[in-house]
Amino acid sequence: MPPGIVGKGLPTYFSWQHAYMSAVTSNSYLESLLQGQPHLPAAPLAWFNELRADAVDRVGALTVPTTRDEEWRFTDISPLTKLSFHPARNAPQLDAATIDGFVLPEAGARLTFIDGVYAPQFSFNNAGVVVENLAVGVTRHGAQIEPHLGRHAEFRGDVFAALNTAFLHDGALIIVPRDASVTAPVHLLFIATQQEAASYPRCLVVAESGSAVTVVEDFVALQPDAAYFTNAVSEIVLADNAHLNHVRVQRDNGAAFHIANCAVSLARASRYRSVSVALGARISRYHLNVLQAAESAECTIDGLALIADRQLADTHTCIDHAQPHGTSRQLHKCIVGGAAHAVFNGKIMVRPGAQLTDSSQSSRNLLLTGKARVDTKPQLEIFADDVKCAHGATVGQLEAEEVFYLKSRGLTEAAARNLLTYAFGAEIIARIPVASLKHCLEQTVLAQTNR
Amino acid sequence: MSSVLQNLVNQPYPHGFVTEIESDVAPKGLNEDTIRLISTKKNEPGWLLEFRLKAYQQWLKMEEPKWPNVKYPKIDFQAISYYSAPKPKKLASMDEVDPELLRTFEKLGVPMNERAALAGVAVDVIFDSVSVATTYKQKLAEVGIIFCSISEAVHEHPELVQQYLGTVVPLGDNYYAALNSAVFTDGSFCFIPKGVKCPMDLSTYFRINTQESGQFERTLIIAEEGASVSYLEGCTAPKFDTNQLHAAVVELIALDNADIKYSTVQNWYAGDEKGIGGIYNFVTKRGLCKGVNSRISWTQVETGSAITWKYPSCVLRGDNSVGEFYSVALTNHYQQADTGTKMVHLGRNTRSTIVSKGISAGRSNNSYRGLVRIAPSAAGARNYSRCDSMLVGDQCGANTFPYIQVNNQSAKVEHEASTSKIGEDQLFYFAQRGIGAEEAVSMIINGFCKDVFQQLPMEFAVEATKLLGLKLEGSVG
Repeated sequence: MPPGIVGKGLPTYFSWQHAYMSAVTSNSYLESLLQGQPHLPAAPLAWFNELRADAVDRVGALTVPTTRDEEWRFTDISPLTKLSFHPARNAPQLDAATIDGFVLPEAGARLTFIDGVYAPQFSFNNAGVVVENLAVGVTRHGAQIEPHLGRHAEFRGDVFAALNTAFLHDGALIIVPRDASVTAPVHLLFIATQQEAASYPRCLVVAESGSAVTVVEDFVALQPDAAYFTNAVSEIVLADNAHLNHVRVQRDNGAAFHIANCAVSLARASRYRSVSVALGARISRYHLNVLQAAESAECTIDGLALIADRQLADTHTCIDHAQPHGTSRQLHKCIVGGAAHAVFNGKIMVRPGAQLTDSSQSSRNLLLTGKARVDTKPQLEIFADDVKCAHGATVGQLEAEEVFYLKSRGLTEAAARNLLTYAFGAEIIARIPVASLKHCLEQTVLAQTNR
Repeated sequence: MSSVLQNLVNQPYPHGFVTEIESDVAPKGLNEDTIRLISTKKNEPGWLLEFRLKAYQQWLKMEEPKWPNVKYPKIDFQAISYYSAPKPKKLASMDEVDPELLRTFEKLGVPMNERAALAGVAVDVIFDSVSVATTYKQKLAEVGIIFCSISEAVHEHPELVQQYLGTVVPLGDNYYAALNSAVFTDGSFCFIPKGVKCPMDLSTYFRINTQESGQFERTLIIAEEGASVSYLEGCTAPKFDTNQLHAAVVELIALDNADIKYSTVQNWYAGDEKGIGGIYNFVTKRGLCKGVNSRISWTQVETGSAITWKYPSCVLRGDNSVGEFYSVALTNHYQQADTGTKMVHLGRNTRSTIVSKGISAGRSNNSYRGLVRIAPSAAGARNYSRCDSMLVGDQCGANTFPYIQVNNQSAKVEHEASTSKIGEDQLFYFAQRGIGAEEAVSMIINGFCKDVFQQLPMEFAVEATKLLGLKLEGSVG
C-alpha cells in the first residue's frame, strides 16, 4: 500500500487544504518578537509615529500563518516560531576587509546595514541623487516620503509586513529626481552577523517621472551557521516613464530565516525589471507584488531559486494589471537538490477594464534528486475580455538526450549534468545588469552544481 | 460587444417545466431521525444505516469549504427536504410508469423503450431521489453486468456494495461528500465482471422536480479485471426561483486492465438572467485506478447550475494506469463555476492528461482549479495539462488555479494555459467569406471545444454541439 493510504479510505491530501501544523501559540510568539519595539526612538514626524503605532496594532490583531492558510499552504514556518529572535541593539565593529568580498566595484552608491543597523563607515554616495538612511532622510525629505512609506506594502493583512512596519525607524531611502538617469547601480548591502538577531530591513525607492536607476538589494551572512531572522520590506514607486532595474540577491546562510515583502507601484508607461535570486536560508519567502496602477506600464519579473539540503524557498508573486495596455513577462526557475523544497505561486490578475493586457508567465522547475520537491501554482485571474494571457509550468529532470549528447562529446556524466544544470540557472543570472554581480553569481551557481 | 455575442448569452432554458406528479416528500430538516426515516423508507440493512449515521456525525464536525472561488448565501440545511419520491406504485412493466413521468422524459429527449433500442442505450432514470426505470436490464444480465439503482443493489448485491461503497470517497472526505453519505437516497450501481466489455453505453438521467428538495444521489461503478464500460450521465431541473442543492458522490473503481469512461452533460437549471434561482451543484466525483494498466476517463460538458463546484479526480494507484479529464464549462449571466480535476499519481509510470476549456459570458465567473500531485512512489509519472479560457464580454471572469506538486524527480509535468476572446476581426474574416456572424461564433466555439467534444460518445457529442448551438437560436432576427 503506498504511503499515505490508511485503511479503507483515501488519505487527506484530497482536500485542497491539508497537512496543518499543530496550533501555534501564535500571539505569545508575536509578543516576544515585539519585545524591544517600545525602545525605538520617536520620530519628529507625527505621521511616521502613527504609522508605526498602527502597525503595532495590526501585529496584535494578526496571527502567525500556518499551512492552513492558503497563502502559506506549502511553507511550514513552524521551525521559525520555535526559536526566539531579538533585534540587535548594536552592530559589531567590522573591519573593511570583512566586507570586501561583497563590494560591487561599479556601484555609484552603497548603503550598508549590519544586523539591521545602519553602518555609515561602509556607505558612500557618488550617485548624485538621494541615497541615504531613512532615519536621516525622513527629516529632510518627509514630504516626498509620506505619500509612499507604508502605503504600498500592505501590512494590514500580512503579519510579517506589519512586524517590519512596527519596527520602522531606519532603512534605505533612494529618491531619483525627475529625468535623472543614474548609470552606476545603487548597492544596498545587508550583512547578518549574529545568532538569534532579528533584523527588519526597510527600503523605499521613489523614481520620479522620466528617471532611471538600478538598485541591488544584497543579503549576505558572515557566520555560516548562525540562525538569524531577516524580515524585509521594500517599497518601490515608479512615476510616469520611469525605468527601474531591481536586482535582489538572497545569499543567507543555511540556518537563517528570510521573509521579505516587496511592493511595486507602476505609473503610466513606466518600466520595472526585476531579477531575484534565492540561494540561501533554511526557510525563505519572497512576496513580490507589482501593481500596474496606470496605463501602458511594463514589468519583467525573473527569478531563480537554487537550493539543496533541507532548504525551503518560497516565491509568491502577484502582478496586478489594474489598467489597460499593460505588459508583463515572468520567468521563474527552481533548481532543487537534496531534500529541498521549492514553492512558487505566481498570480496574474487582470482587473475589469484592463483591456489589451499582454501577459505571459512561465514556471520551470528542475528536480535533481529523488527527495527534492516542488509545489508550483501559476494562477490567472482575468476579468477583461480583450487580453492576451498565457502561463505555463513544467517540472522535470535533465533530459537524458541532452546528457547523452554532451557525453558523446567527451564529457563525463557528472560534468554533463553540471553543465546542463548550470545552463538552466544561468539563463536568469544572465539577465542581471551588473557585470560583477553576474560573474560572482555564476561562480556561486557553478560551485553549487559541482557539489 | 457585437449583438451576436449579446444574443449568445441570452438563450432560454428548455427544460424548465415542472411535472405534476404526486410526490412523497419527507419533512424538511436534517437530524438523525431524518436519516433513520430515509433508511426505513428504503428498507435498508443495518450496516448502511450505520454508514449513514457515521457520516452524519462526521458532517456535524465539519465546516463548509470556503476556498472555492464562488459566492452564495449560506445554505440552511434545515430548510431542505432530504427525501422526495414519486408516490410508490407497483410497476410491472414500462407501460405502467406514470404517463406524466414518461412525457417528462419525452420532453427531455431521454431515449427509453423503442428509442432506447435504436440508440442502443440502457438508461437508469433518477427522478428527484428515486430510480424510476431501468431499461435493458435483461440484456445486460446475460453477459453478467449488473446495472440497477443503488437501492436495488443494496438489497440484491449487498456484498458488492458493502465492499466498495465509500472506498474511493471516504465518509468524511469533504463537507458535501459527508452530507451525501448521510442522506443519499438513490443513484446508479454498475458492476462489470472480469473480462466483460459492456456491449452498450450505460446512461443515467437525473432530474430534480420538487421545489426545496435536495438531490443526493450516489453512483458506484466497478469494472473488474479486463472489463470496460462507457457511462453517460445527463441532468436537468425545472425552473424555480429558489436555489436547490445537488450534492452527489460518484465513485469509480477500475481493477487490473479495466477501462471506465464517464461522460457527463450537465444542464441543471442555471437561474434566470438576474441570477435568481438555479441549482447548487456541489459534487464529489472520483475514480480509483486500483489495478495495473487501468484507465479512467472523465469527460464533462458543464453548461448549467447556478454554482458548479466539482473536481472529477483520478487516483492512479496501479502501475501504468492512465487518468484523463476532458472538460468544457460554459457559464452565462450570474453563473459561477469552480471546476477542474485532481490527478494523484501513486503508481509507477502513471500518466494523466487534462484538457479544460472554459467559456465565460455575461457576468459569470469561471474558474479552473486543478491538482497534479506526483507522490514519491510515482517514478516515471507523466502529466500534460492544457487549460484554455474564452471570454465573451467584459463583465465576466476567467480564472486558473493549477496546483502542481511534484515529489519525484523522474516525473514530467507540463501545464499550459491561455486566454482568448472571439475577436471582431475573426468575425469579419468569416463575414468576408459569406458566413454569418452567428454561424461564425458557433464554429469558433465548436472549434475551441473540439478537443473535448471528440472524447464524448457519439450521442452526447451531438447533444453537446446542439446545446451550444441552442445558445445561438435566440439570436435569429
